[in-house]
Amino acid sequence: MPRRSWVVGVGLVSMLLGMLLVFQFRTETNVKTYLPQFKTVSELGIKWNRMQTDLNKKEEELQKLRQQIQGYNRDAELKSLRMAAGVTPLRGPGVEIILTDATRPLKSYEDPNLFIVHYDQLELLVNELWAAGAEAIAVNGVRLVAQTGFSCAGTTILVGSKKLAPPYVIRAIGDPQTLKAALTIPGGYIESQILPFELGFKIKQEKSLYLPPYKGSSVFTYAEVVPEENEELIIEEEELISGEEERTGAKEGEEL
Amino acid sequence: MLLIPLIGVGLGVGLGLLLPWEIPITYKSYTALAILAAADAIFGGMRAQLEENFNFSRFMVSFFANAMVAVALAYFGNLIGIDIYMGVVVAFSIRLFNNLTLIREFLIIRYRRHGSEK
Repeated sequence: MPRRSWVVGVGLVSMLLGMLLVFQFRTETNVKTYLPQFKTVSELGIKWNRMQTDLNKKEEELQKLRQQIQGYNRDAELKSLRMAAGVTPLRGPGVEIILTDATRPLKSYEDPNLFIVHYDQLELLVNELWAAGAEAIAVNGVRLVAQTGFSCAGTTILVGSKKLAPPYVIRAIGDPQTLKAALTIPGGYIESQILPFELGFKIKQEKSLYLPPYKGSSVFTYAEVVPEENEELIIEEEELISGEEERTGAKEGEEL
Repeated sequence: MLLIPLIGVGLGVGLGLLLPWEIPITYKSYTALAILAAADAIFGGMRAQLEENFNFSRFMVSFFANAMVAVALAYFGNLIGIDIYMGVVVAFSIRLFNNLTLIREFLIIRYRRHGSEK
């Protein structure tokens, strides 16, 4: 009987068809939900290229940072900072200057005040030496650092917190030729400060000078360190403020 | 007579929903061919029934043979980089439409005969 076999055959194949349809549909939905949607291959290629260039940039950055870390030498930086701060004794070529009061007997009408070494003369000398490229300076064994100031204290000169009396021995490390030339230049320090007052002045070029370390304390009560990341921001802010002040100051000046 | 394939498909869908399987993505196109082969076989079987020369063994053998040949062709086409897959799909579709047309003609003729007999 063909009828029964037909039902079995067509029925079986139809069932297979239905099952296959369901499985196929399931796969298709999964593909659409899990895979990213790219309409074209070129779109995918563009995205891939972009990510690749990004990756390359990041890798370059990483390389640079690694090199920086390798190149950073903590000891060397610490050493140069300590040298700059003046907390280590230093040795090197330079000049030794001996500055004394005028030695000749004064006449009765001459003011003795003019013929002794004043603190501002010492300060001018030190400034001249710094300007000439001195790397470190000591006066009578007192090392000059960032906080050192000169002031007058009766018959003596106060350098920082130390009282000094003549003769003043100034030792400066630097290029001896340059330092000497900077002081002896016509119209320079010697011509304007030493010769008019007939002060004693001796300068010697030395191959090796010893400078003692700074012996005072360095305590910071009010100042605090600005983190490096914020530095630029704060500088910008301050420029803004000072700019405003200048403008308002100019206005006030006009009003006056 | 038209109900048998519909009931079969319905049962198949129900069974498929109960089973947790799905087609691996690599064999997706081959399943599509199998689906087409099955549809072709069903319409062919209906047509044969209407022509009254249906043979069960011939029906099953032709279904499996067609499906296998289609899958094999698609596979080799894939290997050598030619879309024989598309050709198979077109061939099956044409057969499908031919069978559908013949079935329709038979049904119309039978309906008219019934009408005239009444």
